[in-house]
Amino acid sequence: MGARSPTPRPSRRLDIDRSITSIARWVVVGVGVALLGFVLVSSDYRDNFLSGSGIALGALVAAIALGVVLTYRGSGVVNLANGAVAMYVGYVYTVLRRDGDLFLPPLPNPLSVVEGVVHRFQTHDTFKLPDLPTKISFGAAMTFWPALVISLLFCIALGLALHFLIFRPLRTAPPLAKVVASVGLFLYLQAVVVRRFGITPRAVKPMPFVNKKQIDLGLFKLSQEQLFVAVVVLVFALCLWILFQWTRFGLATRAAAENEKGAVVLGFSPDFLAGTNWVLSTVITGLLGIFVASINSTIEPIVIPALIVPALTAALVGSFSSFGRTTVAAFVLGMQVPLIQYLGVNSDWFPKSGNLPFPGGERLLPLLGIVLVLFLAGHALPTRGAIISGRLPFSPTPPRWAIRIAGPALAIGAGVVGLFYFGPGYRGALSDSLIGIIICLSVVVITGFVGQISLAQMAFAGISAFMVSKLSFEHGWPFPWPIFAGALAAMLVGLLVALPALRVRGVNLAIVTFAFAVAVDDMIFKNQSVSGGYNGAPVKAPAWVNPDHPSTHFLGLKVGDGKQPSVTTAIFCLIAVVVLCYLVANLRRSTTGRQMLAMRSNERAAAAAGVNVSGTKTLAFAISAFIAGIGGAVIAYRSGAATADKFDYTKSLVFFAFAYLGGISSVSGAIAGGFLVAGGLVFTFLQQSLGVPSEFTLMLGGLGLILTAILNPEGIAGGLRRDGMRLVARARARRPTADAALPPVRGAREGAA
Amino acid sequence: MSELLVTKAMLVTFGGLRAVDDVDLTVEEGKLVGLIGPNGAGKTTFIDGITGFVPTSGSVKFLGAEISGEPAHQRARRGLGRTWQSLELFEDLNIEENLQVAAEDQSAVGFLADLVWPSRKRGRDNVDFALDVLGIRDLAKRMPNEISQGQRKLVSAARALASRPRLVCMDEPAAGLDTSESHALGVRLRQIIDAGITIFLVDHDMGLVLNVCDYIYVIKFGATIAQGTPDEVKRNPKVIDAYLGSSAVPDT
Repeated sequence: MGARSPTPRPSRRLDIDRSITSIARWVVVGVGVALLGFVLVSSDYRDNFLSGSGIALGALVAAIALGVVLTYRGSGVVNLANGAVAMYVGYVYTVLRRDGDLFLPPLPNPLSVVEGVVHRFQTHDTFKLPDLPTKISFGAAMTFWPALVISLLFCIALGLALHFLIFRPLRTAPPLAKVVASVGLFLYLQAVVVRRFGITPRAVKPMPFVNKKQIDLGLFKLSQEQLFVAVVVLVFALCLWILFQWTRFGLATRAAAENEKGAVVLGFSPDFLAGTNWVLSTVITGLLGIFVASINSTIEPIVIPALIVPALTAALVGSFSSFGRTTVAAFVLGMQVPLIQYLGVNSDWFPKSGNLPFPGGERLLPLLGIVLVLFLAGHALPTRGAIISGRLPFSPTPPRWAIRIAGPALAIGAGVVGLFYFGPGYRGALSDSLIGIIICLSVVVITGFVGQISLAQMAFAGISAFMVSKLSFEHGWPFPWPIFAGALAAMLVGLLVALPALRVRGVNLAIVTFAFAVAVDDMIFKNQSVSGGYNGAPVKAPAWVNPDHPSTHFLGLKVGDGKQPSVTTAIFCLIAVVVLCYLVANLRRSTTGRQMLAMRSNERAAAAAGVNVSGTKTLAFAISAFIAGIGGAVIAYRSGAATADKFDYTKSLVFFAFAYLGGISSVSGAIAGGFLVAGGLVFTFLQQSLGVPSEFTLMLGGLGLILTAILNPEGIAGGLRRDGMRLVARARARRPTADAALPPVRGAREGAA
Repeated sequence: MSELLVTKAMLVTFGGLRAVDDVDLTVEEGKLVGLIGPNGAGKTTFIDGITGFVPTSGSVKFLGAEISGEPAHQRARRGLGRTWQSLELFEDLNIEENLQVAAEDQSAVGFLADLVWPSRKRGRDNVDFALDVLGIRDLAKRMPNEISQGQRKLVSAARALASRPRLVCMDEPAAGLDTSESHALGVRLRQIIDAGITIFLVDHDMGLVLNVCDYIYVIKFGATIAQGTPDEVKRNPKVIDAYLGSSAVPDT
């Protein structure tokens, strides 16, 4: 506790406020210690908690977490992609050992566009331009050491690339831009691996100097390999602690975190420090990615990147600075996984779903840990001097004519095109774009208007979609009521997520919502009894909404060609989009919209102006989750079933990415984002007309997200608006009339600068 | 004259530091009350305390009601406005919208109605009033980053007035102004009083405070060392000590 004043006086409220948090903190620590003690006392639980597989997993989580802490201390970036880095380096090593090749990410090849255009007019065999290389071959399959050395060199190059190409240009950018860039990196790394190797696990060759022989260390019984990785991570953590505690380099990094000038005084350039910390981070993360993949004998691109969630929990427990606390927390989070799985199978009290144990229980502790740490450490209002620096993209007031005339007119136009021109391919793309617009709108409300990052939008959508399936198919609710019930359910869950948001903001909120998305994905969407397995949970729709309905008679006209999705399904999506765009545009023009933006600019000043900050934030979460819920319901109706793969945790990231690409702060941005989404109009056009394979969608999305964060934070819509205003300003300047006396337009001024 | 704001034994502590130490202060309606003190005396913290931005103990009464546990936005809705030394404009909104945020109150029904058909009327009078009192109507459509620092100060004050508060606390409005600008500010403040809004002025510019205020409190190290009319304060030896920088004020 802080120092007491020399003459203690009754200051009740202060003491209570302080003591509630500290009591809660002690309760949490106490409960944790008691649980740990309980687990260690019971021999059954102890053996599963101290198992080798859990320790190996804990080592990987610890390495990812140490990497996160390093990059945070070095350059203030919370790297959500660090799990993906471990996975990517693991693949680099695996391929080196198997084929002796260093695989390269797909590089942009201008020739392929020429090829695509030519292929429109003639057959594919007659015209072939050279492709860029996909790998650098070192000859035959490699043994362990050369493969490891090359992988390590790759890690160093990767660390430098991340620093120089992505995060150094973002040094002074707002936290949102840094999170966005790391989400882009996550998607890009994952997409490259999926493009090259698919999502099926690959075999990894074992390490030569350790084997699977069991070692008995009294409490711990684990294999040589597992002991090896645990020791490696502990040694790394110890070295980092020494490095930061006892060397000038560490001192300078700590100084630079406070103030860059501090590092300069110590004779280090902040740039050098940040770059070095990036390299250390990728090396440690990558090395453990390799070792743990070798132990598991397989590697795959979906599960390891998600280990960033427990890693972030550990980093939070260590306040993003303590290597010791981070490592311990990471090991606990890794070791609880086999225990929870054991309990699920062997305990009667464990919640069951059907005959199987309730899935995803091991995700609960990381999520709970994040929420507790942030809740106990957060503040309801940022205090003096803690104002978020940097600005979010400008959010223009939509003009009246756009809402009342242009918007609906455009929508009707799109409807007519959809009806009479598009074949089934583009009709499906149009429907998916419309759905994308809805999800992007939900991101615009929460992130664009209120400045809170939510990476859980597809979790909200999925909850609604499965609700729609239950209500329409099992309970026979008539259309359209399941939509509203689903959206309401999503909204209630959104309110639950808003609770931490009242005390948590910025990057930390992104972490909470991401952890939430991963937990919902594993606990609900991967739960067979909810999601209905591969075919999904069916949805019962009226004939005109049913995507498989061959044709509909409407006002005496026969509409539709019998191909999925039916024309009227596309129209159903269109109606939802038009209504929601209208409402969100009105929201921006309304008092509440202004209050949201005021809060986004400055929470303290907003409170002083009478804005209920907590209430408005909660409302924004509710609205955003409601819109995402409608989106989920529309997805379910549009495809005739709710399927888990549409709502997995990466989809939340993907839609966030496209919303940011389109323009995070306006309805027009959401529309631009919707056109860009996977399966939407733009990529369908690229695929069908230019022959760009669909796997490139996410890669281009991730890359585009990084570039947008660095070069054009206002997104496509914002960029177009700015260019338009610049043109208008130039036209005015050329025509010296009374107009020239008008105040300069904000966008135009920025554009000229 | 009725008492608008009364603090009794108000205390703000940061760790062991008593930033505001047992301050009793009264602001009467229609008066311009000043609070002065050297740098670090706890002036801004005092405003933070009465407007709900730092937790306080002791009593804070506004319009007869105890408000010391209320969140900041509720105090604002009661008619207790404030400005900031660092202005803290909403950089994402234009000047008119900045004022609208303060001027408009929102009900649940109004929120839903706005979604269907946004109204332009709500709070219009208050915005016009604030624009006119400070003479910045021509800035209404500009963005905060397009106007000068002096204009930003006016906007900041206008935003505090746009909610038609009973009492507005102004945090160092004269900081960075030269003598003639400071004089012009004094005239504006008097106009605001005439419009029926009471002002609690915090500044370390002795000239401005002594010229325009009706009643003055002087604090140092968080505690009140003097109070009275400008003439009384001017003659108070403790105040002279505090401002001439005498190292120790003997306790009497």
